[in-house]
Amino acid sequence: MAVSTLSRVAVVGSAQTMLRASWTELQHVDLIAAAVDAVLRGSGLDMKDVDVVIDCGSDVLDGRSISNCGFLGAMGAHHKEESRVEEDGLFGAVYGTTKIAGGSASVALIVAYSKPSESDVSAYYATLSDPFYQRALGLDHIGAAGLTANQYLTTTDADEEGLLRIAAESWRKVADNPSVDLDRVPSLADIQASPLVADPLRSLQIARPVDGAVAVLLASEQVARRVTDRPVWITGMGAAMDSHFLADRAPGELEACRAAANMAMKRAGITAVSSIGLAEVSGASAAGEAMVIEALGFAPRGHAVDAYSEGATVAINPSGGALPADPIMATGLVRLHEASSRLTGRLGGDVGSRAIVHGAGGLGMQNNCVFIVEV
Amino acid sequence: MTDGLLTGIDQPQVLETTLSLPYTLTTGRAAGTFLAELGNKRILGSRCDKCARVMTPPQDYCSRCGSASETFVHMPERGTVTAVTRTDRAILALVQLDGSDSGFLHRLAPDSHHAAVGARVRAVWADTPSQSMLDLDCFALDDTGGHAGSAIEVGEVAVVAELAYSLTLHYKHAYGPHYGRLFDELATHRRILGSLCPSCRNVLVPPREFCDACFVRTAQYVDVADTGILQAFSVIHMEFVGQTRKPPYVYAEIVLDGSATRLIHTIAGFDVTTAAERLQIGMPVRAVWKDRADCHGTLDDIDYFEIVTGSERGD
Amino acid sequence: MRSVAIVGAGQTRHARRRKDVTQVALAREAVTSALQDAGLTMDDIDSVVVCSGPVLFAAVNQPEKWLVDAIGARLKPVVRVTSGGGTGLAGALAAVNQIRGGFAERVLVVAYDKLSEGALQYSISTLYDPFWGREFAVGIMGFAAAYWRARMDSLGHTEEAAAMVSVKNHRNALLNPYAHVKKEVSVEDVMNSRPLCWPIKLLDVPPISDGACAVVLSSEDAAKASADPAWIRGIAYYSEAENAANRSMIQSEPLTIAAQRVYKQAGITNPRRQCDVVEVQEPYTCFELSYYEGLGLCPPGGAADLISSGATLIDGDIPVNPSGGCMGANPIGATALIRLAEVAQQVRGRAGNHQIPDARVGLMQAGGGWANLRGVAVVASTKG
Ligand SMILES: [Zn+2]
Ligand SMILES: [Zn+2]
Repeated sequence: MAVSTLSRVAVVGSAQTMLRASWTELQHVDLIAAAVDAVLRGSGLDMKDVDVVIDCGSDVLDGRSISNCGFLGAMGAHHKEESRVEEDGLFGAVYGTTKIAGGSASVALIVAYSKPSESDVSAYYATLSDPFYQRALGLDHIGAAGLTANQYLTTTDADEEGLLRIAAESWRKVADNPSVDLDRVPSLADIQASPLVADPLRSLQIARPVDGAVAVLLASEQVARRVTDRPVWITGMGAAMDSHFLADRAPGELEACRAAANMAMKRAGITAVSSIGLAEVSGASAAGEAMVIEALGFAPRGHAVDAYSEGATVAINPSGGALPADPIMATGLVRLHEASSRLTGRLGGDVGSRAIVHGAGGLGMQNNCVFIVEV
Repeated sequence: MTDGLLTGIDQPQVLETTLSLPYTLTTGRAAGTFLAELGNKRILGSRCDKCARVMTPPQDYCSRCGSASETFVHMPERGTVTAVTRTDRAILALVQLDGSDSGFLHRLAPDSHHAAVGARVRAVWADTPSQSMLDLDCFALDDTGGHAGSAIEVGEVAVVAELAYSLTLHYKHAYGPHYGRLFDELATHRRILGSLCPSCRNVLVPPREFCDACFVRTAQYVDVADTGILQAFSVIHMEFVGQTRKPPYVYAEIVLDGSATRLIHTIAGFDVTTAAERLQIGMPVRAVWKDRADCHGTLDDIDYFEIVTGSERGD
Repeated sequence: MRSVAIVGAGQTRHARRRKDVTQVALAREAVTSALQDAGLTMDDIDSVVVCSGPVLFAAVNQPEKWLVDAIGARLKPVVRVTSGGGTGLAGALAAVNQIRGGFAERVLVVAYDKLSEGALQYSISTLYDPFWGREFAVGIMGFAAAYWRARMDSLGHTEEAAAMVSVKNHRNALLNPYAHVKKEVSVEDVMNSRPLCWPIKLLDVPPISDGACAVVLSSEDAAKASADPAWIRGIAYYSEAENAANRSMIQSEPLTIAAQRVYKQAGITNPRRQCDVVEVQEPYTCFELSYYEGLGLCPPGGAADLISSGATLIDGDIPVNPSGGCMGANPIGATALIRLAEVAQQVRGRAGNHQIPDARVGLMQAGGGWANLRGVAVVASTKG
């Protein structure tokens, strides 16, 4: 593949709104515009420099058809090239990256948002199902998470204690994330005491839907060198979608995530994941996160929990990840924002020079996207 | 500005809306035949002859090799649980029917609390079929030790070709910082607010945080008139599902005096059957407000816009 | 910049209602046809872009997740790009970028809608802000009719001129094997047809259709195996905030911007002379008149003269919609990609009965939303 002739692409800025269970005082346009305004501020770029806007949101969540059509002004897309990728925001970043890499744009603005507090999250997920077989049974994200978690425990050596620990790690870390609004941070005991909503999963082990928006500025090498001394290079991308029917997928693992990761790592020229110091991943549940960690190659199957041990080579979700804060269509792009912010040292801590970022969409994480970013 | 003038209309936190949409779904061969056979208390599967793989429920296309599945088979009613979870709605399980190579997502009987992977189950049929997956009510724990059956090939059978379906989605739309104020002013003072862009100096109705064209934060609220010009109109004769008013009526796009944006409303107060001839682009129009008692802080507080006749102009 | 070509295209049999197939089987039919046309299999495809209209059209949210198995795309990159009626072109643009950007060598774009499943005008009406105007929405037809009425005054886009568009496109559809409306109509028939949203009348409106289209796009390297690639010489898709200050509804600014950008990419300075065939997405006849002007086929205000002159007839000097356009079939989510596929087949010499002789450069336009999402592409038989 003639990738070497293509322009390098960098993340040159990113910003998000506070992620909250409910932003009742703001509309979609307010959240979107706040994120876009924030990402431009201090970036060395302004709206005139943006060649293309790619946005990720959901008509069903928004209660409005072609909802992007009503939000163009808030996204700064007026009289610009704009497209909606109706999937997790990280897939929107794939679009922006290819557009710049191919030479059709110098600066791309990627916007992703959700406001699940206005909507019925269960209905959003239930309507993802085929209308004849799965939907009539009342399958939603909770049921799908429970079934896949059950498969994970049944087909591997993993146990419920490990899943509790993974959730506890997420909640412990999110306490240090100023962008996630929480009344209090639940302890391991709180997680254990939370209701069993889809056994083996308890409510605090399933991603919590939150309202929020995130914006990421991508730029060509030429622009990136001009506007920042800390560009975060996108060196690999991959994506893959699994079968629709849960029963058709490999039990206890995420084949599509593995395929996406292999594609991204191959493009980045990475042969060993030990060179990756940071992973920001979007698990739909504690078991989902475990399966992502395994699919990315950080642990053998069934042993994801070991990757969270002291002395592990990779920092997993220092942001807290998706369990404490899942702004549905924005979750993967928030991970890219977090990872690039950490690589540039903006958030402190040493996470090395290379990160892997993961986003997912669909029931039981059917669609997966993986980025490799480096400084 | 109008601070302090609000007279205590209850500010709704959210606008509740419901989308209730009717559908007629085409089931296709596999699902259509499957649903028809469920009504006969038989479980249908399909076989990919290329992969020698039996899928239950049947699929039009093999998810592994992509070929069209030509052969239908009747499946045994017994199988083994391969995955299970208990939720508020149902006990969901993947059941591998005897003779099937795929799992079958379905429900377990409500009393099967302790069903675990490996449990044997049997089909329980609904009393009255309704052309739904739930004609197979659920799978119950099978302690009869029934024999494992096998898939039996079937010829053509009847098909449920179409299914009536409806989708109801509920929303609670936030008013945000501007719409709350806008509608309060509308209901309380019959005042229409816009926001002024400090850059292009245009007034935008409804008010918004950012000017679309400039991507600059708007500076302040500005009152606009309840009069304007008719920028465009159409006479609606068509009826459709979900329509909120009875044809014929006028769909109008109006630019209110003092604003630079379009407001969508209707023109009435005249014989609508003459609208095509009577209405002219650029004609002045004026809001006719509902009685205050009937105003609830929506665009409907304006009953309609009326034509401002020549003699009234310049009043 | 890497060159990109269309190496295969296929459509389904379109119909008012396809009772024989599910949504996903409909899409599969187009994919099978496009792959066959390209002489490829799914194994040759690196990535898939799915396009369909707003999901409320057919009760399945993010339908690409149901579609994946039916088109044999499991474990490949699959995304859905949506942009109202123009989604098929927006999806093709995404695919072009995937190839130019080195993400894929061959991308399959599949676009479809099964409009017979749902309540079309109701679902389109949910485009409007729930706080501000939705109660007045008549799908997008009321809006389209209102600004046509305004353009009558300012540009002379008369009811008769639009009726001529209907006559032309209906007649061309008789030649198109994929069209399902096969009916000759006269100007009088159109003028006398029942008003729906006056001035839009029944015969100004395309049918409601079930249908799909698929296109295989390829990098230059991967296109070497193809005997007759149609090269993408320019492609762009622009937006406009729907209620921005002083938005011009008379001449579409996003269309003008997109056309100018594409002409620059394709080296076109005189589209009427340099293009051999044009396909536009005309959800209502009045839009085709607007596109003549927006695309620069005639000066502003010249559309009625252009249609009257016969220049846009199938044997005219600038034939527009020789396929019959939307009048023959209008599965909204597929329509934009059908327009692109039609011009590609024209420059490949594969357009069958409605082939324009020696067509080498094809121009297409598509769009959606409140007439605020507008795209243009130019394809040609040579790489340029
Ligand atoms: Zn097979
Ligand atoms: Zn402005």
